[in-house]
Amino acid sequence: MDPILRIENVTKTYVGHRALDDVSVEIPRGSIYGLLGPNGAGKTTLIRVVNHMTMPDRGKVWFEDHEITDKDIFNTGYMPEERGLYKKMKVGEQALFFARMHGLSRTEAARRLKDWFSRLGISEWWDKKVEDLSKGMAQKVQFIITVVHEPKLLIFDEPFSGFDPINQNMLKEEILGLRDRGATVIFSTHNMESVEEICDDITLINKSQNILSGHVDEIRRKAGGNTFLVVYNGSQEDFSASLQGKAFPLGTPDSILGGFTQQRIHIPDDSDIRPVIGMLNEKVALRSFQEIIPSMNDIFIRAVNGTL
Amino acid sequence: MNRLGLIVEREFLERVRKKSFILVTILIPILIAFSLIGPTFFMNAVDSKAKTERIVVIDNTPGRIIGTRLPSDSRVEFQLLPENTTLEEARQRYGYEVYCFGILVIGEDIIDNPGNLTLINNGASSLSVEDAIRERIQGIIRTERLNRYDVENINSILADANVHAGIQTLKNEQNQEMKSSSTGGSVALGFIIAFFIYMIIIIYGQMVLQSVIDEKQTRVLDVLITSCKPFELMMGKVLGIAMVAMLQILIWGGIIMLLVAFALPAIAASSGNAEILLGSIADVHYIGTLVITTILYIIGGFLFYASMYAAIGSAVDTPQDAAQFNSVIMLPIIIAIYVLMAVIKNPGSDIAFWFSMIPFTSPMVMMARIPAGIPTWEIVVSLAVLYVSFIILIWLAARIFRIGVFMHGKKPTWKDLGQWIKMK
Repeated sequence: MDPILRIENVTKTYVGHRALDDVSVEIPRGSIYGLLGPNGAGKTTLIRVVNHMTMPDRGKVWFEDHEITDKDIFNTGYMPEERGLYKKMKVGEQALFFARMHGLSRTEAARRLKDWFSRLGISEWWDKKVEDLSKGMAQKVQFIITVVHEPKLLIFDEPFSGFDPINQNMLKEEILGLRDRGATVIFSTHNMESVEEICDDITLINKSQNILSGHVDEIRRKAGGNTFLVVYNGSQEDFSASLQGKAFPLGTPDSILGGFTQQRIHIPDDSDIRPVIGMLNEKVALRSFQEIIPSMNDIFIRAVNGTL
Repeated sequence: MNRLGLIVEREFLERVRKKSFILVTILIPILIAFSLIGPTFFMNAVDSKAKTERIVVIDNTPGRIIGTRLPSDSRVEFQLLPENTTLEEARQRYGYEVYCFGILVIGEDIIDNPGNLTLINNGASSLSVEDAIRERIQGIIRTERLNRYDVENINSILADANVHAGIQTLKNEQNQEMKSSSTGGSVALGFIIAFFIYMIIIIYGQMVLQSVIDEKQTRVLDVLITSCKPFELMMGKVLGIAMVAMLQILIWGGIIMLLVAFALPAIAASSGNAEILLGSIADVHYIGTLVITTILYIIGGFLFYASMYAAIGSAVDTPQDAAQFNSVIMLPIIIAIYVLMAVIKNPGSDIAFWFSMIPFTSPMVMMARIPAGIPTWEIVVSLAVLYVSFIILIWLAARIFRIGVFMHGKKPTWKDLGQWIKMK
């Protein structure tokens, strides 16, 4: 699929500190794209380069078929990590102001905002001041402000921070909904669960470099390294003998509850798993056979530690 | 509405809707009026409400020449005691009388020694009563002394010699009739306007600074900056606040007009100062020029300084960090006020001329000169310099602004600001 955004060899150095080192990322149109990485890895800097909030020393950012312009940026939705709202301004008035800044007419902005407010259950806060809102409430307002003009490209910096689990779920639903209606969503996060649940693709940035990019399922499967967990009832010798060089046991077998044994095995990439299952099935009583797919959390930690 | 318009509108409404704005806008003229009128008003009120004070008099002069001639009126009533009454007797008789203000003892040699006068009060003394006594006694002594010279018609001679010189100042203008002008009035007017501009620049300039710092702190800028250009944001702020200032000035102007129309004549009747001031304002023929130039200098001066304040605000994180830059901006404004003193003495001097051309000081200094009457070309050149400087400055400020708003943490130096200007 053609990318909506292409970040090409971007390097950005602050005084005595390289924030981005030759980073390239392609964001497929209509995807939900996760920017992952430890604190200080360069995620926010990358977002700022895309937003023209800072200029790269080297490299380019392409939007669709041209280098990204201010006008493209004005048509995106951006939610910074540290939320920015006028504290003394009434919520509704403020939302109207930002929506109109993004080019909506007053009536259209009001209509869409009323919709969003009732959807997120904050209608009664329309006339309250932002300083009277709880953090989660303010987050919702900020989210609405970011998406109300229905931009093609949405950028969220740590969207889930400050939300309780219920609101996190609601936010996930909304983000999925935005994608289904055609938007491309980029978000940076430490929240790996959310990545597994909603991200189509990710880039993992560590120490200013892109160390891992790709489709989430592929990355996880690849990181699993064709490892399977087998639970069976029978002798361990029979089990090992039946593999016949088509698969290799990893580590030592464990005895688990109910008299079962569990064993991890590796099957080489090009092999079919059916013969392995067939052979095992003849010698031992198979209870389960399951591919081990590492969680994004594992992958994140392993990638950052260089053990992936 | 375009984005710049939206920002201007938001800045404007946010401030105008505040209770403090409404309060200040209405209170300040009242306060000014009060500080002008108050003292005279109270003085009059105190005097007119004062009751008649009774004073008993012991006159030790031969023939009691003073005491017999002391005139009583609604303010003080003198009661001359019989000859040879001693102070002791008087004190016993009148010292504790509630209705008696005090005992006045006139010394034997008062004609030659006017200091030989004692007032023994029963209660608290009063300046106005003392004044009244002194005035009356001085009058009698003066007459007595003059009479010693035995000159014929002394009173009519004195009346004839009593002269008050008055200068009628005329302004020399080519191809025109000479216009009369009032130096005292224009000096006062010029100073008032200059000081007013100074206040506007400081108060509203600081408002721009504070507003940018606030938005940077709350990260609203990060959200805004992805929906408009930094320049639009900065201009929107400056113009929005400028409009608040204009509205406030218009309201003040309106209130002052009302005061002039209704209240001032009434005050003028009771206070000599106000009369002089009122007269001189009416004297200024170029009131039209004055109003137009005042507006142009307020706008120009504000925009000039506000763009600097916006740039500084964008560069720092806290008002404390802004202090070092702020003091540098304040310096020319304060110099302008010092120069103002010199200008008022001599609006035509070289210092006055040059400081009314330099854009940093021209709004204040030129406004102090205009009421005194200066060539039109000077005003035109000065305004042109001011507005051209503003355009250069806002361009520089915008270059600092676009980088500054995203810089957090480190307090920038002058060198940093210079680099940001050069950055592409």
